[in-house]
Amino acid sequence: MTEGLQSAPVLAPDKAPAASSPWHARFLDSDIWASFKRSKLTMLATFLTLLFLLAAILAGLVAPQNPFDPAQLDLLNSRIPPLWEADGVAPYLLGTDEQGRDVFSAILYGLRVSLLVGFLGVAFSATLGIALGLIAGYFGGTVDAVIMRVADVQLTFPAILCALLVDGVVKSVAGGQLSPAATLGVLVFSIGLSFWVQYARTVRGSVMVEKNKDYIAAARLIGLPAPVIMFRHVLPNVLGPVLVIATINLALAIITEATLSFLGTGMPETMPSLGTLIRIGNNYLFSGEWWIIAFPGVALAILVLSINLLGDWLRDALNPRLR
Amino acid sequence: MSQPVLSVRDLHVEFVTRRGVLKAIDGISFDIAKGEVLGVVGESGAGKSVTGSAVVGLIDPPGRIAGGEVILSGMRIDNLPPEELRRVRGKRIGMIFQDPLTSLNPLYRVSEQLVETIRTHTNLSSSAARKRAIDLLAEVGIPAPDRRIDSYPHEFSGGMRQRVVIALALCAEPELIIADEPTTALDVSVQAQIITLLKRLGRDHGTAIMLVTHDMGVIAETADRVAVMYAGRIAEIGPVRDVVQNPLHPYAKGLMGAIPSLEVETDRLVQIPGSMPRLSAIPTGCAFNPRCPFAFDRCRVERPEPIQRDLHRVACHLYDETTIRAEALA
Amino acid sequence: MTERSYVQVDNLRRVFDVSKPWLNRMLEREEKQFLKAVDGVSFDIAKGETFALVGESGSGKSTVARMVVGLLPPSAGGVTIDGVAMAGRTDAAQRQRLRRRIQMIFQDPYASLNPRWRVDRIIAEPIRAFGLLEDDAQIRNRVGELLTLVGLHPDDGRKFPHEFSGGQRQRIAIARALASNAEFIVCDEPTSALDVSVQAQILNLMRDLQDRLGLTYLFISHNLAVVRHMATRIGVMYLGRIVEISGGRELFLAPKHPYTRMLLDAVPDVGMSGRQRIPVKGEIPNPIHPPSGCTFNPRCPFANDRCRREIPPLLGGVACHAVHEGRITIPAAA
Repeated sequence: MTEGLQSAPVLAPDKAPAASSPWHARFLDSDIWASFKRSKLTMLATFLTLLFLLAAILAGLVAPQNPFDPAQLDLLNSRIPPLWEADGVAPYLLGTDEQGRDVFSAILYGLRVSLLVGFLGVAFSATLGIALGLIAGYFGGTVDAVIMRVADVQLTFPAILCALLVDGVVKSVAGGQLSPAATLGVLVFSIGLSFWVQYARTVRGSVMVEKNKDYIAAARLIGLPAPVIMFRHVLPNVLGPVLVIATINLALAIITEATLSFLGTGMPETMPSLGTLIRIGNNYLFSGEWWIIAFPGVALAILVLSINLLGDWLRDALNPRLR
Repeated sequence: MSQPVLSVRDLHVEFVTRRGVLKAIDGISFDIAKGEVLGVVGESGAGKSVTGSAVVGLIDPPGRIAGGEVILSGMRIDNLPPEELRRVRGKRIGMIFQDPLTSLNPLYRVSEQLVETIRTHTNLSSSAARKRAIDLLAEVGIPAPDRRIDSYPHEFSGGMRQRVVIALALCAEPELIIADEPTTALDVSVQAQIITLLKRLGRDHGTAIMLVTHDMGVIAETADRVAVMYAGRIAEIGPVRDVVQNPLHPYAKGLMGAIPSLEVETDRLVQIPGSMPRLSAIPTGCAFNPRCPFAFDRCRVERPEPIQRDLHRVACHLYDETTIRAEALA
Repeated sequence: MTERSYVQVDNLRRVFDVSKPWLNRMLEREEKQFLKAVDGVSFDIAKGETFALVGESGSGKSTVARMVVGLLPPSAGGVTIDGVAMAGRTDAAQRQRLRRRIQMIFQDPYASLNPRWRVDRIIAEPIRAFGLLEDDAQIRNRVGELLTLVGLHPDDGRKFPHEFSGGQRQRIAIARALASNAEFIVCDEPTSALDVSVQAQILNLMRDLQDRLGLTYLFISHNLAVVRHMATRIGVMYLGRIVEISGGRELFLAPKHPYTRMLLDAVPDVGMSGRQRIPVKGEIPNPIHPPSGCTFNPRCPFANDRCRREIPPLLGGVACHAVHEGRITIPAAA
């Protein structure tokens, strides 16, 4: 009877292949999608985040007023309370501040600035961190030691202090006032500089695991140079955790920007972010004009909370061991 | 006396996933007698380790025992409340796993772990328990046990650690030992020593041993009887010599022929085409039918139940009376 | 070395620095620690044969494999393949030409394929890297051909590695190794992560491919039965050295070195021939502090003072004083 078993042709296909399904079918069948559908909170957070994004992008179409344009502001309309209060005036849904700026429009445009600083800051810190982490992890030795010691030193400075330092240095070098666009650049740079360590450490850790796997050995065997192996083989396999950090860091970057702006080293009043709006509103909190600070504050809180929830879910979904 | 130490009746284990219910164990029955070593062999995905866990009630959600009975010396244990089951497990069933470090606490000396276990299950004084622990270490072949007993687990080599685990499993003088791949992490030369030890212990203490492994060689050397598992079912069970040298089930035949031998030179190994099906795609009828060179229509629709043939029990339609009669007629 | 040898491994050594970091060493006043993973290994392989290195953990067999393919630079000694030295001052172009002819199959088929790449891209990578084919359609055909050669379907190329079983992944790894028309394939425990029935498929496939393509194998394994099935010649390693080297048949019929004998006795016997066996003694010592003289002496029933003092040279295919002095009688090869 054993002959019967042996008679199987050796080079015959193991099994008939089924064509790989298209990507969207694979996605709808994936564990991540299933875990997304299970969590109502995540769906709400995603909805809110997308809503904020959309509001920021479409601010020019939705907002009744362009708060960055001094010509549209009228001091006669200053300090109008929200529409539902007794003294409310249309179209100022959430009231106006002391310059006659519509709070609702200011929030939409401020959201735009906040998110822009957040995204650019994350992009900058992620690029810097991933690159340094890849190099440190792949080459090891002295290169690794130098990069990681710099990272250690960096970590001893709180992010906010680091950002204040960069901001101060740039301002003193540039001499006095910067244009709003330049300030935005400084913010992105200082936020990026204070958040890169986390990416570098995570990427380095993953790289050290991946580079000892045999698919990397196989790539080395065919004589591919190190940078090619790093970008083609290692990088795509270490990006999972980076996505999680980037999401959580987006919330952190927005908060940091808001803090800097609140402290007065961030966005100027001529191009306010959510943090700037809160700083402005802070001056009127005790004179009864609560809406000037409350609405930007609530917007910031909901935005950051939504992004954080999204990040938490992503971390759990990408790490099946935690479930 | 004729009562088996372990008796498993029509055991079912399921895993509930969002894609549906996966049947990891689909109705298996076997007995282990006092002093007997039952080898449970199979390839990955056959369900052999799940069987071991199910017997001691260590199936974690999303898995669950979906049916059947586990009877330990006449007492049904699969439906016990968790606390009672835990006591039974500690006192009457010893366990040995592939990685000795999962069974030993790295923070405590071996002496502390052994003495604590002995005192939980007996009413020995601590000095008597310590003496018993030293005796146990001597019995499992640890040199200078009176000195080594105060070492930490990491101070032992892999083979010695596995000996300590075996000593730990013996503490409560269990009726049954479940050894799940006990030698897989060890080198050949050390593996041979552990096999010899297990065999001797079963004989000396009359302990029933369920030896779960993928290594047919280990089974052939150690077991009295062997159960060959395939896709959550027992394909064939019988005395080890008969099953190894004269397997009946086509899968068992293929498996034996696939093992390269030290003794006999072969040009080609017997190969079974394909691989073990995933739990989510177990073929209807006989689970082995797509890989079986002898499969006929009945194999594709009707699941074969175990049939007694001489000393074997084999789950294959080829050995069914009707098939044999049909063949005789043809 | 003989003229016929295709691969020559000459007195290969590899030392690993396993010391603690500098600061810890200074504080704990510890010396630097070195591990001699491979300590003077020489062998040669003829074209078209399968040379196996067998040994237990810590024997250094995988380190030898990595040095032979050039993944790990040797501390001393050299590897020459078809007259070209692997390490040293060989110029880059020549080495790249040599690389095309040497490939490797790894132990763990789950780690040896990039999980984010489709199979066809994985197999095409060597073809592109060595510039063997330029045209995309040609490459696609070649990949399909390779997949068929290893028993898969050309359409399997569109799938990702996780869609395959362990045995199928090992087939893919073999297809990648063959993609550059390699002649010499180093196989590092190619079947030890696989089930027996799948192992049989892969071993049969490897032998078929050897017959068809005239491949030369360096086969690394801890499994003596697998080695017996595959190898034409075998080297037995213990703690970084080859203790015995001989033709496949002879090694199993008339093992000379006490370690080889012990190892053969230790293998669980499926044949159940009930042969008498010497009980195995002791465990492999810590390779950082190996025993003096012959490293096997603490476990050897024939060890004497000379064995504890002097490292035995590899003479007549065996490194053992007791054999050289005639203290051990060797069963005649049947």
